[in-house]
This record gives sequence, structure tokens and C-alpha cells, in this order.
Amino acid sequence: MSFLSTVFLKRGDSGEKVVAELCDAIEPVDIIDWATHWLPARDQCLNILQAANAPPEAYPQSAHWNWMDKTRSMQGLLALQGLSIRCEGRTQGLMRIDLASEQCQLESQRSQPMVYVDYIEIAPWNWIGPYFNPPRFRWAGQILLRAAVEISLDQAFKGRIGLHSLPQASSFYRRCGLTDCGPDPNYPRNLPYFEATPEQAMAFLNQGGSK
Amino acid sequence: MLTKKTMTLNLTDAEMQVLEDLCAKKDLSKTAVLRQALRLYQLVDVRLEKGDKLVVENDTTKEKAELMMLS
Repeated sequence: MSFLSTVFLKRGDSGEKVVAELCDAIEPVDIIDWATHWLPARDQCLNILQAANAPPEAYPQSAHWNWMDKTRSMQGLLALQGLSIRCEGRTQGLMRIDLASEQCQLESQRSQPMVYVDYIEIAPWNWIGPYFNPPRFRWAGQILLRAAVEISLDQAFKGRIGLHSLPQASSFYRRCGLTDCGPDPNYPRNLPYFEATPEQAMAFLNQGGSK
Repeated sequence: MLTKKTMTLNLTDAEMQVLEDLCAKKDLSKTAVLRQALRLYQLVDVRLEKGDKLVVENDTTKEKAELMMLS
């Protein structure tokens, strides 16, 4: 059975705080939302970019992700966990984490256990960019990343988290205070690798905003 | 919250020593080490059942070796 906790998102236009639900699972309702609402909204965004002759770097780099496959592949596995955030009857963000397969790479905590963030994505109507309308909600990404830190604490990993970032998202993880370890030569497309120490994780949890 | 169940685990001295060494090395409790072990064992078992092979690679020499899992 999944567990829900109350969190707050911020409305993109008015700045008003809105009650949302953080769920410690990705449930069928989230996959239905992804298929019936995220995909058409994503296509709409891609059409806007195409019509505006936007440069390739303006295209969301996670646009091809298939959450149905990502969720199916973790069924029954203890090492993998999904999380979702819902607000006003829609899934606003999704994340998949791995509790066992990856170990820390930073010298100060090499080989220590951590929560590895496999995938994290927000709904297309929450995307930020010069070609899009103001996001419907902000903070979904931060809340999910905070949840990864909380799970790391709960698992006695002391808040350590790690992830490979899409280049577009690197500035977000730097703002969250994670160490930018640079391009990882052992990872497909040499994606940059980010990692948080226990101190960085605590500082991130204590940041303002979505807390 | 998930409900948790308690069990008694009987280990030999050697097994307990390995568990304690891992706890010290990974800075984890015995329960946390065993949870990690279970997660990894399941992950590997599922992949092997699908027909995948378990291969370890030396990061420096790039030498690869296949691990045989005996069920």
C-alpha cells in the first residue's frame, strides 16, 4: 500500500501555494495521466518549438522518456522505487530511484551506499522556457529530489544521493547544492554526474521554497 | 507506513564477522546491510532468470570476468 504525504507546490502565474500529495509509489493513475495528459501536452510543446524554429538545445531532453516502460521494469524489485507528486487531480512529477545498484563516487564517501536517482521528470505544463507559457506549478522537481534525500536518511544512507543529469538540468542540481563531478566517461553520452554528501543533503533540505 | 516484521538470524562466527565488517565499511546497521544484500540478490536473480550474465569489470585494466551464481 502506498503512503501519501502533504506537500506544497507554487502556482506559476500567481505564486500562490497549493496543497499537493507526494506518493511513495508510481501508481496506475499516474501512468494513465502520463499517457492521456502528459503525452499530448508534450506534443503541443514540441509543436510550439518546431513552429518557432527553436534551436535543438531548446527541446526538452527528457521528451522521449516512457514512464510506462520505466514503471513496468521495476515491478516487484526491492531495489527500485517510484514516487509521484499529484496536485489538482493530475500527476505533476515522477521519479524513479535505485536503492542498491549504485555507490558513491566522491572521494570523501567513495563506495558508501546512496539513493541513486534514475529518472526524474515534471509534467510538460510545468516546463520552464522562453517558448512556453508560465509553468502551471513550480517546485515539483525540488520536492521529488527532497524525497530522495529523505529516503536516503530513512535507509541510513545519511542523505547521500547521486544522479546523472541531462545537460539541460545541470544548473538545477547545482542550485540544489549537489557536487558537479563533471562528465562521466563510463556513462552513455558522458552525462554529467552529481552527488550530495550528508552535509550537502542537509543544506538542501534546509533550503527555503518548497519546504 | 510499511509494517515491519522481526526474525531471528543464526549466523556462524565467520558470517557474523563478515556482516560486522560490512557494517563498519558501509557505515550501516546490520539490518541495513541485510536489506541491501536482499535488494541486490533479487536484482541479480531476476536478471539471471531472464538469461542475462553477471560480469564484473576491472575499472583500470578493463578485464572482465563472468560470475557464476549457484542457486
